[in-house]
Amino acid sequence: MHEISLVQGLLRQLGELAGEHQCQAISKVRVEIGPLSGIVIDSFQFGFDVLSAEQDLTRDALLEIVTPPIQYKCCYCGHVCLSSEGVPDSCPECSHTLLVPEGGDGLILMQVEMV
Amino acid sequence: MCEDCGCASPSHNHKVVDVNQSLLAANDALAEKNREHIEELGAVAINLISSPGSGKTTLLEKTIERLGKELRIGVIEGDIETERDAERIRAKGVPVVQLTTGGACHLDAALVHKGIHALEHQLDDKKLDLLFIENVGNLVCPATFYLGEHQRVVMISVPEGPDKPAKYPRAFIGSDVFMISKTDLLPYFDFSSEMAIKDALLLNPKLRVMSVSATTGDGFDSWLAYLRSLCQ
Repeated sequence: MHEISLVQGLLRQLGELAGEHQCQAISKVRVEIGPLSGIVIDSFQFGFDVLSAEQDLTRDALLEIVTPPIQYKCCYCGHVCLSSEGVPDSCPECSHTLLVPEGGDGLILMQVEMV
Repeated sequence: MCEDCGCASPSHNHKVVDVNQSLLAANDALAEKNREHIEELGAVAINLISSPGSGKTTLLEKTIERLGKELRIGVIEGDIETERDAERIRAKGVPVVQLTTGGACHLDAALVHKGIHALEHQLDDKKLDLLFIENVGNLVCPATFYLGEHQRVVMISVPEGPDKPAKYPRAFIGSDVFMISKTDLLPYFDFSSEMAIKDALLLNPKLRVMSVSATTGDGFDSWLAYLRSLCQ
């Protein structure tokens, strides 16, 4: 459950942003969670629901989670393809079977809407 | 109309801020400080990650026995509770700090920051060659948190089964070394090293693969040679 630690970090970041922009409430938070980030999205959402309700600043905030597809690069021809459903069986260009993931492990606070 | 988002609400006076910053930015900034601190001590740091019971502490005990006279070794132990691992390491005669997370399933940069300071107090000349950070036994959560280490070692033991790289990809993607431990048990378990290594390299072709048995000493020569090479 390291998702809780990450949500705590996110809420700290939101507090700083609200201060910086002199806002009193956060209405929407968009976060990118890569499929290879090791984060369980349901646990992250659960953590956010519980912890965001504990303070006025984030009580009504909506969490939007974006999950980008993973890029897989063929070790043979270098072709890059996108997949949301795990490692492709073979490279669509050269049919080689050795494809390695590139990225997909991002954990990014993308956008915040506040009032 | 709202100037920021173009919505029709006249009262909608809100700000849309593009942040595009890692959720781990605060942790990573502190981890960089840890790294500077570790380098001021003259040390190379290794973050050791595995499931509970894979043999992290035993690997360290045997490593200290073999390298302790040659290199100045320090250890930061991460556990949810107890000083037991630190006591085992202390018995080997090297400086050690036990971090207890009190329930948290991983070490983060802030905890390790405290650990480095506490360890520094135990060093007479403020110098170390090798700092091992033994993470909380867990193949999932520790993988997300950079601690300031120079190298990350992920370990699985033979009884755990060869499917761990495929099941816990994050730990393997972010590591430098993949270690298979308890290889003396290979005759008694249906463990395919080939499958484990193939799956791990598919996730991260740069992984350096090693295997050890703390019981027989098999594989220690290459592990120790790797550690020595880091300290040169």
